[in-house]
Amino acid sequence: MTIGITTYVVYLAVSIALTIWVGRTIYKNGRVFLIDVFHGNETLADSVNHLLVVGFYLINFGYVSMALSLGYAVHDAQESIEALSTKVGMVLIVLGLMHFGNLFVFSCLRGIRRVRPQGPPIEPDAFTAVQQEA
Amino acid sequence: MFAMTVLYDPECGLCRRAHQWLAEQSKLVELRFIPCASDEARRHFPYLDHDLTTKDLTVVADNGAVYFGPKGWLMVLWALARYRDWSYRLAKPELLPTTKRVVSMISQHRYQLGRVAGLSK
Repeated sequence: MTIGITTYVVYLAVSIALTIWVGRTIYKNGRVFLIDVFHGNETLADSVNHLLVVGFYLINFGYVSMALSLGYAVHDAQESIEALSTKVGMVLIVLGLMHFGNLFVFSCLRGIRRVRPQGPPIEPDAFTAVQQEA
Repeated sequence: MFAMTVLYDPECGLCRRAHQWLAEQSKLVELRFIPCASDEARRHFPYLDHDLTTKDLTVVADNGAVYFGPKGWLMVLWALARYRDWSYRLAKPELLPTTKRVVSMISQHRYQLGRVAGLSK
């Protein structure tokens, strides 16, 4: 196995492991949150959670796959590590952005729920008698 | 609260346009429109000061609560499914004075604004 192939294999292994780790973290901790958002409806929460995580995996694996190609030859271990650091760093940044995107979706869902039951925004100026229609 | 009555000025083009727009919005609270100081308005609210309602938009809830001017506008926003969030935002202590100023300005110049926008009769 040439050093170039080794670099690719290490890149894929690290990227996939990181993606799965972040995905599982979102799945585990997001569930509690979604159950709260959907008033304890666990079936719906699990379903939405699953859909979100599938989207997360698709985008991340898609990026990992697209960013695989280095575009230049790697000759020794030092170049390999340098190439890896750039590639894995980008994967980490994309993962981070996706993670915050997920949190944003969660907080939006929560906002929808919170606003609903509130009363009028302001106190009335006065009260008057209302003549009911006959 | 299940319904609110909006006493609007039928003479002003801007108000009529706003009325049309409101009719199309999906509502969380039913809105009824009655021309201000009309016989119908006097019949529904016999103790209300109807001269005052000609000066600015007035909203009366079915529990008798009266919201005059900028408060009325906020209550109309609150009744709309899409703008309820905005009614809370605009009613916050930091924003309320600005909301009141802007709304009063629009109300006072409603005839001129309606003419400029080509909405008068």
